[in-house]
Amino acid sequence: MTDLKDRKPILQLVGVRKTFNDFAAVEKIDLDIFEGEFFTIVGPSGSGKTTMLRMLAGMEAPSEGNITLHGERINDVPANKRPTCLVFQSLALFPHMSVGQNIEFPLKIKGVDAASRKARALELMAIVRLPASYYGKNVMKCSGGERQRVALARALAYDPEVLFFDEPLSAIDYKLKKVLEKELKDLHRETGKTFIYITHSLEEAMVMSDRIGVMRAGRLVQVGTPEEIYAAPVDRFVSEFVGEVNVIEVTRAGEGWQGVDVPGAFRAAAPHDQPQAHSAFVVIRPEYMRFLKDGEAADNMLEGVVYNEYSLGSRIQYQVRVGEKVMLVELSRANALPAAANRNVRLGWDVADAISVKA
Amino acid sequence: MEQDKLRTRVLIAGWTTFVVLLVYLPIACVALASFTKARYFAFPVRAFSTEWWEKTADSIEISMIVQNSLLVAAVVTVFSVVIAFFGALAFARYDWTGRRLYQKLILLPVFFPQPVLGLALLLAYSALGISTSWMTAVFAHMVWIVPVVTLIIAIKVYGFDPTLEEAAFDLGASRLKVMTHVTLPLLWPGIWSGALFAFLLSWGNFPLSLYTAGADSTVPKWLYAKMVAGYTPMVPALGTMATLAAAAVLLGGGLVGLIMKKARAA
Amino acid sequence: MSTALIDPTLNNTPLPAVPAATPLGARFAAAWAAAGTRCALPVVVLLAAGFLAPLVAIFAYSFAPPRSFEVFRAFTFANYAELFSLENTVWLSFAWSIGFALLTCAVLAVVAYPIAYGMVFLFGRWSSLVSVLFVFPLFVSENVRLYGWVLFFIKNGVLDGSLKWLGLGGAPTVLYTPGVILAGMVYTYLPFMLFPLTLGLSMVPRDLIDAARDLGANRFQIWREVEVPLAMPGILIGMLLTFVLAIGAVSEAKILGGQSVIVISHDIEIAFTYAQNWPLGSALAVLVTAFIGALTLAVFAKLDLDRLLGRR
Repeated sequence: MTDLKDRKPILQLVGVRKTFNDFAAVEKIDLDIFEGEFFTIVGPSGSGKTTMLRMLAGMEAPSEGNITLHGERINDVPANKRPTCLVFQSLALFPHMSVGQNIEFPLKIKGVDAASRKARALELMAIVRLPASYYGKNVMKCSGGERQRVALARALAYDPEVLFFDEPLSAIDYKLKKVLEKELKDLHRETGKTFIYITHSLEEAMVMSDRIGVMRAGRLVQVGTPEEIYAAPVDRFVSEFVGEVNVIEVTRAGEGWQGVDVPGAFRAAAPHDQPQAHSAFVVIRPEYMRFLKDGEAADNMLEGVVYNEYSLGSRIQYQVRVGEKVMLVELSRANALPAAANRNVRLGWDVADAISVKA
Repeated sequence: MEQDKLRTRVLIAGWTTFVVLLVYLPIACVALASFTKARYFAFPVRAFSTEWWEKTADSIEISMIVQNSLLVAAVVTVFSVVIAFFGALAFARYDWTGRRLYQKLILLPVFFPQPVLGLALLLAYSALGISTSWMTAVFAHMVWIVPVVTLIIAIKVYGFDPTLEEAAFDLGASRLKVMTHVTLPLLWPGIWSGALFAFLLSWGNFPLSLYTAGADSTVPKWLYAKMVAGYTPMVPALGTMATLAAAAVLLGGGLVGLIMKKARAA
Repeated sequence: MSTALIDPTLNNTPLPAVPAATPLGARFAAAWAAAGTRCALPVVVLLAAGFLAPLVAIFAYSFAPPRSFEVFRAFTFANYAELFSLENTVWLSFAWSIGFALLTCAVLAVVAYPIAYGMVFLFGRWSSLVSVLFVFPLFVSENVRLYGWVLFFIKNGVLDGSLKWLGLGGAPTVLYTPGVILAGMVYTYLPFMLFPLTLGLSMVPRDLIDAARDLGANRFQIWREVEVPLAMPGILIGMLLTFVLAIGAVSEAKILGGQSVIVISHDIEIAFTYAQNWPLGSALAVLVTAFIGALTLAVFAKLDLDRLLGRR
């Protein structure tokens, strides 16, 4: 997936905007999605990601701008005429049909004869790892994971060029979710189709995607590979979205920076896209923050009091009160801080481990 | 795509408007007839007058039957709402043996032609030696209004979270306290619309009143008698008055419901 | 607390299978089993006295000697024999009623479906206003509304008068024809088709319609494969309700039909009033009731009311 430049765009959005009455759900989005990539749109609820997906799938028309598929404008092509298919958050399985009938639905609509329909359905069931004995099973009697597979097989039966997924894993328990994420990734590789996935969980997006687009308040704030998003979040919102982080607000003071919400002077790089910025946020992941031993020094240091510790399984997270602010430190169990409660500590981190983002 | 959606929307909205207009067309015709001066209706109306409205309003006979109708509707409402409230709890709230059967039995009177039900009740009264009057009409109305009100309240009961009652019990409330502090306030909107339905359905009912009210007349009964024999423009006048009264009750009831909802939300 | 909640008189009621394993849950379930029976009691008593008893009464009357009032004292099949005798024309009234009812059902399904669809999927916050507009006529006696149609269609009425005024000649005579009776029934029973259809369609998740379209289905295919099967309980109830009520309808034929057609309920009325032959009228009513009852129970057997009315 590193050679994205060689790929042809399949779906292109140019200045796409969608308003409902006066409310703009999606604001001026420009985006190219390439053939065969797994693209994930991530954002909190209300960020406009579902509206964006509905426009791509043909269930809403954009108020402004153009959507093209293979270079042809498809703004007004209805969903049933687009070579795209959506796997709904609710899965939208037809409750009055069996597993087999659900999968065969798009084939029946196309007028495929019963024997070929069944043959294809069984093929697809094998691909999504559903036992053939499920063919006649009532779809409402299937478990969550099984329904997931039925929905996937049904979408594949339509043989779309692009598959959309609207948070289909949101109602599934963690363990099964991990399994299905990997299966989906495998399926993507096997079918070679373009997958566009929506989720509010960046963790989910990181596991599966070739590229990720982060949405906020109707805008696409950052598009990049999972590594780019993780290593160089474009702003405070994206950095916080990536996971629990420490964020310190700073303003320029001579050569270095002065803390705004915690006292002290800090050494930090300027935001990479705004080297001249006067204020910025310094983002330090809890795992890069460490407790300093007596006499030990780091590029930046803070003093505080430990007031809580949580077990995260193999790791331990400490909450440290620094003035009005709470900072997070994560250590592996082997390096746990003894007698942590109410202990006065010094925190430290190095400039190389922190990211500066624009305010 | 948007054009397609818009076209469907416009077609369906247009059709709905057309049907609504058709539904109200005869009611408008009746109102028109009530304001003609002539004894027999002819269109276009040559001369308008409120003469028949005045006569209707002044008539002692009509004030008697209006009182009958009001009395019947009021008594039906009170009894129906109380019975149907419990009936709805049994319908939708509790799991008990026989509930599924009960749910279907309760619908039977609704799925039964009212003229036949009225005659059957008349027969039963006669077999039991009960003389018919407004009171027997009340009972007859209840036979089909209670099921209707039960359904209306039941729909509200379905949306009611039973763990609220459990929580109240668990916090030490008595059965009565739970009813008055938790169940009733939450189901109040359903009960209110049930009461409106009970009153208005009874007010407009004709087939049951015809056979079961005996010598006591109600508004629909009187209107029918005069339509069949002895037409006077008082028929459309009273018909229009009854319609307006129903509209006023519905509007007033809806308004009260809205105000109560606002007051609770505040 | 739990014993206090259970009415001692109802202790012998068998309890339903209680899935809850906790003692607290089991106690609540037991209490509610009793509460359900107790809450149902007033309704059940009312319907036993007001619905079942009258049906028993007409059943008993139907075996009394013709033109007598000697119920429970004599027993004869004479009334049924008369109804089924060859020269009796009651079958004609039955045929009219069934014909009207079938047509009413069919016409109403077509008229009401788009409105119900609009109320569920398109009208948004306007749909409550539309509901009220369609409910309200139920509160106006059907006589008044049907009489309005008479005023509309009658000679020198609204239609005739308007056409003459426009110089288009008079309106054709529609009053007192079977066609106008049918129109009257369609008019009267519209809400009884519309609201069950609305209930049925509201059971169709919008996602499923979107999904079907996304999978290539056109409007008609969506309707046939998704909407109709899923809304079926509502459609069935609407059909049944309008059919059954139309079978018993009498005002339309009397007011709009001017007695040109005698429907079955009219026959029953005549037997009870002018003919003063209660046993014959009862026998007729028993036949109608048996017909309606069989139909209703057959359809009810297929319904899950909890799902239809929105139990989660």
